[in-house]
Amino acid sequence: MTTILQVRDLTVTFPGRRGGTPVTALQSLSLSLEAGESLSVIGESGSGKTTLLRSILGHVPPTGGAVRLFGADLASASKGELTALRRRCAAISQDPYGSLPPTLTVLESVMEPWLLVHGEEERAEGEERALGLLAELGMADGDLLRSKVRFSLSGGQRQRAAIARALVLEPELLLCDEPTSMQDASTRGDILRILQKRQGRGMSMLFVTHDLFLARRAAPRGIVLHRGRIVEESATAELLASPKDAYTKALVAALPRLGRA
Amino acid sequence: MRRRTLTRRWSFWCLVLLAALALFGGRLFSAPPDAEVAAPFSKPFWLDRSLPPTVTADLTPDAPSAEIPWSWGAPSRFFVAADMVADAPGRTILWTKPGGRTVEIAPLKKGVERDGRDMAFKRALGLPPFADGAASLLDERGTYRLSVDGQGPWEGTVRLRLDGGRWGLFGTDQRGRDIAALFVAGIRVSLLVGIMATLIATALGTTVGLAAGYLGGWFDSAAMRLVDLLLSIPMLPILMALAAIWGKGLWQLVLILSIFSWMGTARTVRAMTLSLRDTAYIEDLRGIGAPTAYILRRHLLPETLPLLLATMTLGVPGAILSEAGLSFLGLSDPRVISWGRMLHEAQTFGTFTAGAWWMLLPPGLGIAVLCLAFLDMGKYLEERTDPRLRGGALS
Amino acid sequence: MIAVRNLSVTYRSSEREKRAVLGVDLAVERGRMVALAGESGSGKSTVLMAIPGLLPATAATSGEILLDGRDLLTCSEAELNAVRWRRIALVPQGAMNSFTPVLTVGRHVEEELEVHLGLSKREARERIPALFALAGLDGGLAARYPHELSGGQKQRSAIALALACNPEYLLCDEPTTALDVVTQRDIVVTLRRLVDEQGVGMLLVSHDLPLAASVADRLCIMKDGRLVEEGEPRTIVDHPANPHTRALVGALRELEEAP
Repeated sequence: MTTILQVRDLTVTFPGRRGGTPVTALQSLSLSLEAGESLSVIGESGSGKTTLLRSILGHVPPTGGAVRLFGADLASASKGELTALRRRCAAISQDPYGSLPPTLTVLESVMEPWLLVHGEEERAEGEERALGLLAELGMADGDLLRSKVRFSLSGGQRQRAAIARALVLEPELLLCDEPTSMQDASTRGDILRILQKRQGRGMSMLFVTHDLFLARRAAPRGIVLHRGRIVEESATAELLASPKDAYTKALVAALPRLGRA
Repeated sequence: MRRRTLTRRWSFWCLVLLAALALFGGRLFSAPPDAEVAAPFSKPFWLDRSLPPTVTADLTPDAPSAEIPWSWGAPSRFFVAADMVADAPGRTILWTKPGGRTVEIAPLKKGVERDGRDMAFKRALGLPPFADGAASLLDERGTYRLSVDGQGPWEGTVRLRLDGGRWGLFGTDQRGRDIAALFVAGIRVSLLVGIMATLIATALGTTVGLAAGYLGGWFDSAAMRLVDLLLSIPMLPILMALAAIWGKGLWQLVLILSIFSWMGTARTVRAMTLSLRDTAYIEDLRGIGAPTAYILRRHLLPETLPLLLATMTLGVPGAILSEAGLSFLGLSDPRVISWGRMLHEAQTFGTFTAGAWWMLLPPGLGIAVLCLAFLDMGKYLEERTDPRLRGGALS
Repeated sequence: MIAVRNLSVTYRSSEREKRAVLGVDLAVERGRMVALAGESGSGKSTVLMAIPGLLPATAATSGEILLDGRDLLTCSEAELNAVRWRRIALVPQGAMNSFTPVLTVGRHVEEELEVHLGLSKREARERIPALFALAGLDGGLAARYPHELSGGQKQRSAIALALACNPEYLLCDEPTTALDVVTQRDIVVTLRRLVDEQGVGMLLVSHDLPLAASVADRLCIMKDGRLVEEGEPRTIVDHPANPHTRALVGALRELEEAP
């Protein structure tokens, strides 16, 4: 097994606004991910999850600690190396309105990363891949795919198009932040199945969610992130069945569930 | 809800009409707009029916006589000029009164001119020096006739003009130029200056705004300080100084106006770029090595485009007004006819002492209507591009 | 009682007509909580907004909305204004982000008391602590500005605002969306307490079926503008009759009970 991602003692502190106190978004956070493995990160807004995902791609400089992506230390990577590393990863942002370029058509926006990396000569192949992915995600309506993102897509459709855009380069590491928050219960399952099929082919995944049921469905192992720290780390089934930390306990207790009579 | 289509806007049709006038309006007039066609300060023809109109008649070898029905008092001026290739010996220009009496005006020679105010002409007519030549030539009501009489070949045009004090739709200015023709010629300048200055300003503002917002750093600070500086300078004195230094040509004016009107666009575009720069998809594109030029061209520019369209149409009235203002102050090329220039001349040459309000109203209202039309167009485009201004369904 | 009878709503624009709600029947009684659940675009928000007559002008409505027998759909705007806030209050979608940033949250509530009930400034201020307590908030927070409050606190302030005129009915549109799981639960508990202790009749619109089912007395499931199932939450969750509900419950169960 090769270690794809290794985060060691990562601390990220943002300077306070107008001389205010600095904000610590992540505090001594460590985790590692093998090829083909997936990990659920259970965290709510303000837990530091977005900062974590952005630091893994080198968009946020760490205050302390280190991130190693595919064996390379991000801090010492050159700009070119960093680009090469990022091309092997993909991220799905929490906000579907910010994750797709609104002025392109749906098809163009899914193809865009492919064209940037492989060039205009391979447009045909990119289009085929994009169409395949979109169809897999339940978006096969030709008129819809050829209309502008801004005018034609609902939040849920945007989110699915964003997933297709993230998968078009066949990433080795997928970082997703609540990728199903705007989906109906039935499509949520479909999307997880699509992601897991790719995991079977060797993709690793970091799946961020606040929903413990979803976390259990997405990955066998999970960490609970609260105010920038990992408060509990264990099997996701275990987290649900017997949470140890007070925060995890509150989370489990508050989780809406249908239950059995 | 009724759909707000372009063709339902008054401003659209107004602009179409003005543009058509700017392109083809010159054909409505036989003379060029700067030609003197009637007496100075002639009133519009519909204004005072008791005044004699301005009458012109051309004689050629094919039509060697013209009839002039006259039922008013004397005109202010009687003027005949011969535009000949060569002298025509044996031929004379004759003036026949309704009663049948004929007066010989002049022999038909190259370059001959007779004006009812000339001493020599008055003497030739047998009038005392202080008499009015025109009054003596048109002293009854009926049909007069001007003709070329005698034998021998001739080639050219004999032109008669009776300045009655009324002319055309809008009258004439202090030099006897047709105000309607000047008005139509002015549309072209106003539109040209307004649109060109705005286009250049928008291009400049967009470039600076995009670069400042996306690149940030020292360029951003420098560009924004420049914007602050330009905004804090009182515009009119600077425009006046620049017009004095660079000259008063039309293109200098366009350049001056564009240099001082790109700052608002730059600020807006910068603000928009700043908010878009850190969106997830832009960050991702940067991450996988998309060139900056690609991101700017493919994403940021199209995103700001609807906004630009609206600010552009809203910017045109500003440029038109600035042009009019500068021209009004006399800081424009006197050979270029524009509405501002017309106002300037109206002001300088005594609209008020002459009571010639018709010199003032057409350019003034023209500027107002053109600006309002552009503002309405801008509002329309804003409504089209901003979904919040349209009605919509609940989610 | 608010009784919605055979309500249909169509949004008209020049390009197309969209039938958002089709023949929906619904009843909200005082002291009871009815939850309206469904996927996005199912028309549930439209039903809620139709009750106080707050649909946009592009919406054409038919059917009846009876408040104690009086049809609100035929009421004039003035008559509706007498009903809104005082009898039927609303916590609209995204209410927590709709406060004016330059006023304290308490001032918002005071203003409403002054305008709708004609209270003096002092009388209004005296009522604030009690109202905030009803919404589960410490009265001291009334002096804070919106940006100084957490999402949950802002949502509770929006509830306090809706409660200001002591309404008989409260309509809540997605009151827990965009909040943390723990906060969501707390808000729902507060809403339930209003129903039980104050006798408020409540209509709760939510896309979160488990949450809605866990708190409501009656559950209505909407799909494509129609009411596909209605009944006791426990019964629907355990024995869904409609195929759509069955699929929905099935998908949620799979997630809940896996692997």
